[in-house]
Amino acid sequence: MSQALVPRSRSLVRRAMGARSPVWRVDGVLLVAVMALSVIGTLLVWSSTRTWAAGAPTGMVMKHVLNLAIGWVLCGIAALADRRTLRIYAPAVYGVSLLGLLAVITPLGSTINGSHSWILLGGGFAVQPSELAKPALILMLCALLAEPARGTDRPRTLDLVLCAAAAAIAMGLVMLQPDFGTTMVLAVITGAIMIFAGLRKRYIAALGALAGAGAAAVWLLGLLKPYQIARFTAFINPANDPRGAGYNSTQSLIAIGSGELFGKGLFHGGQTTGRFVPEQHTDFIFTVAGEEFGFLGAVTVVALLGVVLLRGLRIARRSEDRFSAMVVGGIVCWFAFQTFVNVGMTIGIMPITGVPLPFVSYGGTATFANMIALGLIQAVHIRERPF
Amino acid sequence: MGMAVVMSLFAGRLVQLQGLDSKVFEAKAATLRVHEETLTARRGPITDINGNELALTVEAREISADPTKVKPADRDRVAGSLAAVLGADKAKIAAKLAQTGTRYTLLASNVPTATTAKVLALKIGGVVATPHYERWYPGGSLAGGVIGYVGDEGHGLTGFEQAYDKLLAGQDGRQTVETSGTGQRIPMTRTTKQEPVAGRGLRLTLDRDIQWAAERAITRQVAATGARSGSVIVMDVRTGQLVAMANAPEVDLNAWQRTPDVGNRAVSEVFEPGSTNKVITAAAALEAGVVRPETVFQVADKYRCADRVLGDAHPHPPENLTFTGIIAESSNVGTIMAADRVGDQPLYTMLKAFGFGAKTGAGLYGEEAGLLPRRETWSGSQRCTIAFGQGVSVTALQMASVYQTIANGGVRLTPQIVAGTVDQHGRFVPAKAPKQTRVVGTRTAKDITRMLEAAVSAEGTGSLAAIKGYRVAGKTGTAQRYDESCRGYCGYTATFVGFTPADAPRLVALAVLQAPENGHFGGEIAAPVFKEVMTFALKSRKIPPTGTTAPPVRTGTGG
Repeated sequence: MSQALVPRSRSLVRRAMGARSPVWRVDGVLLVAVMALSVIGTLLVWSSTRTWAAGAPTGMVMKHVLNLAIGWVLCGIAALADRRTLRIYAPAVYGVSLLGLLAVITPLGSTINGSHSWILLGGGFAVQPSELAKPALILMLCALLAEPARGTDRPRTLDLVLCAAAAAIAMGLVMLQPDFGTTMVLAVITGAIMIFAGLRKRYIAALGALAGAGAAAVWLLGLLKPYQIARFTAFINPANDPRGAGYNSTQSLIAIGSGELFGKGLFHGGQTTGRFVPEQHTDFIFTVAGEEFGFLGAVTVVALLGVVLLRGLRIARRSEDRFSAMVVGGIVCWFAFQTFVNVGMTIGIMPITGVPLPFVSYGGTATFANMIALGLIQAVHIRERPF
Repeated sequence: MGMAVVMSLFAGRLVQLQGLDSKVFEAKAATLRVHEETLTARRGPITDINGNELALTVEAREISADPTKVKPADRDRVAGSLAAVLGADKAKIAAKLAQTGTRYTLLASNVPTATTAKVLALKIGGVVATPHYERWYPGGSLAGGVIGYVGDEGHGLTGFEQAYDKLLAGQDGRQTVETSGTGQRIPMTRTTKQEPVAGRGLRLTLDRDIQWAAERAITRQVAATGARSGSVIVMDVRTGQLVAMANAPEVDLNAWQRTPDVGNRAVSEVFEPGSTNKVITAAAALEAGVVRPETVFQVADKYRCADRVLGDAHPHPPENLTFTGIIAESSNVGTIMAADRVGDQPLYTMLKAFGFGAKTGAGLYGEEAGLLPRRETWSGSQRCTIAFGQGVSVTALQMASVYQTIANGGVRLTPQIVAGTVDQHGRFVPAKAPKQTRVVGTRTAKDITRMLEAAVSAEGTGSLAAIKGYRVAGKTGTAQRYDESCRGYCGYTATFVGFTPADAPRLVALAVLQAPENGHFGGEIAAPVFKEVMTFALKSRKIPPTGTTAPPVRTGTGG
């Protein structure tokens, strides 16, 4: 409403920087928290990748910085979107992401680390459509469920069925890669959004039962790959097989544990420099924080992520628009789940699942997706009615 | 609310990992990363008296490969290029690279640095060069038994390499390094380093040139006579220093794994000396004053001693011989007659005084003490046999030491072979001076020397040992040889031992041949070896003839 009062004649820059500009209406705390996480993430990526290629210690970190830069631009664009545009384009975004997931299955896709989830673009760049599927699915589900049934606060059954179908298609395609971690993230997002939409308690119970049955079926039908089963047994007791399936877990604990209170200092973590922890710049980036920045650093990272989640929840709660609140809620659940699973696995209280740590891990597409999601949260905040 | 629970869960776990159990993880981390490496100390060289290296340590490279890092498709090509550079068999290298069950296979050792550079220039993944020290013996088999060799673990197995291993080996250093999960060294991590202390060098009293001449002479003679083995010892009369100690056959130190270990026979082989032992009987008789060099004995060719009848080497009618004549012609009967006048105890005491039954004190690896039966155990005839050198066993070095004592005017010097040690900066620390012991009086020594000179004269048994222009004193020995294989006496031990110049002795030399088949008399086959080696040694040491002539001696009375 307030934008309408701004005279049209003023220049773009002045409008952008003016007292009533949306720039001043972003959630500063959220922004600063994510910036801090990005900076910490950059340092950690630098530390964990500087020994990769002799003579080129900054190769990977420069790529990470580039990804972040692109991510911030995407964040800015997403922050400018308004809810109507998003609702209109949601099916298109969802469709495009499905096409991406389909492309991965075709010969266009490439396998990295056992998951056939990449499309190589050349020049060392690759896209991971399953990451972009996360915000796309959120938008799609929220668009479907934004209109409650007439006279009630609950979603229409048809919308729920469509929702379930949309989620199932995306999850099915991701499962084909196979990417178990992302599938779980999508499942959690779907469940969360359905609950936000006001699903009846008995449906929630039924969904829970269905998820349980599905998990049992996956187990019993032998759909899990041996390495996935091994990860779970290794989680129960990592010492069983410290050089095999329990290796990641054991190494991860050693790296974090040896950090102690203040850490070894950036670039001085022996386990990190020695590259003992696999995937340390992506899924196990938290171990670098644990070893080099110690307990204080690790707690700082967790606290910053907590700030992001809490600010997100605050924005969702304050939003007067059902669609916006659901989008933000979905995103917060997504981040919360990934944070919990990722940190949990590195400190040995969760089984190992290939899920990156939001805003900290290396990974181009994941960074873009996270930043777009951050932009969406900010967009909702910007358009909040001022008190 | 739920998030608070999750956050505290995380925080609690982090407290546990990084606070309570951190030392455990820290230690685990250290064992993963920190590796201890040994920095091998360079082994000290062994040199002759003039500093010529007989054993030295050179830096070489070992080329090894991790077969798992060579792709099967590349194996043939890699083996080809490696074989070309290393000058090795391509098929063998290919076979080694095919051992994918191991991550280490040795392709070549003792590779010169230039070749190593070429191998590394090929930039084959998984092929590495490791520096290591290689023991090298420039003389091959030269003084092999004395020097000994070093085993694959870098420790001496025989000879001086073994006896002085600690001194030569030095002190290995240590360093701890941090290596990464992939095994590469982590740059700029803390390392602790304890520098190795290089081994000290050992300087022997041997003279490389005379050693070589001695080895050549004895090797030839062993081959010519079909002897089982032979030894030559050259010793400096005035210092007791061993100038040469040669054996045949000799181990090739650079290929000791492929040659049988024969040891240092000059000190390890114990044999009955035979007639060379007669100088001790003579010394005992002269010291006791029961006999003079010109004392005349009526010597038959047979002599009854307790339960045995002993005889001379050649049958002859009874003849009148002076004691000098007895030694010169090496009459067993005459020697026994002299020994009869001496008695058991003085003879035994004299044998002991000359060092029989005890190690010489030279500190040589594998030295035997010989066998001097205790006097109380002597059988009735043993005095008689010991008088001419049977029934008692010695090493070649012990016998050489007897003649050094006579040549040195009756003063025995502990044989010395270690001249001293040299540290890595070249500072020489001489060994202790040898112990001096007076065994017989100057007069006795002089008398015996004259008798030994007669033995090398035209009438003596050792005439083949005579060196033109020099006065040579010496004694032949032809002993029956006890042999395990025939459980008794079969074959002979032929010896010649003597010194030059007789009137101002400088060098003692001994040549001994075990179980020769073509000829067996010491005067026939050992004396020429003595002559060859002594001649060379005199020239090499630039010892001039004394220019005197031997005084005439009476050996008999018209016999």
